Amino acid sequence: MSEARPAPTLPATGVSRQTLRLAGRVGTPGATSPARELWLAMQLPSIPAGGLEPLARQALRFTPRVSLEPPAALLAEVRGSLRLFGGAAALRQRVLAGLQAAGQPARVAIAPTPRAALWLVRAGQDHIVLHGDLLPGLAAQLPLSCLDWPAETVATLRRFGVRNVAELVRLPRAGLARRIGPDRLRELDEGFGRCPQARRHYTAPERFTAECELPVPAVTAGALAPGVSGLLAQLEVFLRVRASGLDGLRLDLLHRGLPATRIRLGLSRPSGNPQYLGELLRERLARAALPAPVMALRLRSGVPLPLQWCSLGLFDRGHSADPEAAARLLERLRARLGQTAVFAVHAVPDHRPERAWRVAEPAVATVPASHWPAAQPPRPLWMLAVPQRLAPPDFRLIAGPERIESGWWDGHDVRRDYYVALAGDGACLWVFRERPPGQDWFLHGVFG
Amino acid sequence: MSDPLAALLGHPGLWRGAGTEMAAAVPTGFRRLDERLPGGGWPLDTVVELLLPSSGIGELELLLPLLRSLSDVGSGAPRWIAWLNPPYLPYAPALAGSGLDPGRMLVVRPRAGGGLPWAMEQALRSGACAAVLGWVNAIDDTALRRLKLAAAEGRSLGLLFRPAQCRDEPSPAALRLALTARDGSLDVEILKSRGGVPARVAGLLAR
Repeated sequence: MSEARPAPTLPATGVSRQTLRLAGRVGTPGATSPARELWLAMQLPSIPAGGLEPLARQALRFTPRVSLEPPAALLAEVRGSLRLFGGAAALRQRVLAGLQAAGQPARVAIAPTPRAALWLVRAGQDHIVLHGDLLPGLAAQLPLSCLDWPAETVATLRRFGVRNVAELVRLPRAGLARRIGPDRLRELDEGFGRCPQARRHYTAPERFTAECELPVPAVTAGALAPGVSGLLAQLEVFLRVRASGLDGLRLDLLHRGLPATRIRLGLSRPSGNPQYLGELLRERLARAALPAPVMALRLRSGVPLPLQWCSLGLFDRGHSADPEAAARLLERLRARLGQTAVFAVHAVPDHRPERAWRVAEPAVATVPASHWPAAQPPRPLWMLAVPQRLAPPDFRLIAGPERIESGWWDGHDVRRDYYVALAGDGACLWVFRERPPGQDWFLHGVFG
Repeated sequence: MSDPLAALLGHPGLWRGAGTEMAAAVPTGFRRLDERLPGGGWPLDTVVELLLPSSGIGELELLLPLLRSLSDVGSGAPRWIAWLNPPYLPYAPALAGSGLDPGRMLVVRPRAGGGLPWAMEQALRSGACAAVLGWVNAIDDTALRRLKLAAAEGRSLGLLFRPAQCRDEPSPAALRLALTARDGSLDVEILKSRGGVPARVAGLLAR
């Protein structure tokens, strides 16, 4: 400090675990943090087994600005998230609950600068400090150990009679810089918000991969369910952070001494809903054959894609198509019945009846209606994939013939006389005879 | 004297068959059939059973006006019409020719017959289908009840085609029709209708 200014004394500095707020008070000039930031620091009791990254991914649900502080602390800038989570105290409660659920009981403090927040958690002071003016007042409660400086530096300072950070910042600035180095002085300035501190933000990897070992080797698909839902819960966090969905993922069932069984899931529209993905995976797992007991599971995502939202009409009581529901139905049916069991039909302009349609992919979203002239003469609503020979012709002709001769150019030549016929059981049939008139009648369609 | 009677009739636990307010219905396109059906047409958001001696006797032509009006939603895209396990393939040019967009048809033909009640329930519940036409032979009472609930939830109409032998089985369907062919025309017998009485309409679809 260049000026010998006494630390401002504030009424609430001694109050622990209490939100300190200065409503409408003008801050001491020069003591405010450069950009109005608020940092939440989490100090874990020990280095977590899986590293800090899983926790950092969890923290991304509260704010996009998360920073790692190895070995065992995390920082998150939460000023912009306060309103959403109902204030600093409520946000801290949620973070604590999340850490508890992850099996990581940690200390959490909030301060206007990242370094001050770290000091607070290292000193075991779970304060919420919303304003930079309050930091100098709290400095008397911060022992030198919270600075995380080398032991000899701390020992030197102790020899001066300095016991806490407040006493440290009261020392003449020039002399302090000479004794402990300009870098340490800068740390102090950063802590009190007198100069900004650049922090590298954590960015989560672009694809999700997670493994989970099963407590007992699983021999049935049902025994895999808890492991799968655990992985999907992690996947949900991964996706929510990016406001993204997936259009594909892969679940590997790892066996001992055998190659993994791979289950691929493809979605027609990106989805980030873990229940839905779990339902599809369950269907696939139920059909999968397990060659050997499953020792572990590995889940890999495809590239996360932005979720698409669409607005619904105000007046259409849910009677027009909802692409989301359609896509979900399609995938559910295909997951259980097979990919080719579900399809749509399209009309193709061709005179030959068997070539006038084709199997198509069902259109989930809106497609312009295909304009097809009303068939003259009428066509049956039902078609047989292959014309069927009618052994004893048990019908009476009521309309026809309609001659169809086409296709000599592509080798699928058709020369037939079609008739509408009424069968003995009341069915209305579309039958034909080959030209030149053969004796055999073939059934090609049913009017239904 | 009329007070106890009026009180009894006003009792919420008492359900009166005729004269109650009917749910929305879609005209069948056949005036003589509309007159006999409670609400004046096909009920919506429920399950209708059609009992047939054999496929192709005119059941689709009976349903065409219904399918056309379900596809006509004004603005926006119409919902799918799902065909579950149909005995033959729906023929796209004929669908287009009769005013239905083949692009909005969803055909489900599993190789093995299993999973059909499940698939029909999913289709009804999803809300993605305006109508689900299901050719499901083996289905029990519980599954039928589930279909009915799913139809109400997904605001969809389930049309179940079953063999005529199922005529005497009890069914929770809101409407049960037995269809028979006679000389190229279709006779419709209303076996059961919610809020209506059994009736018979002869000679529809004369051709």
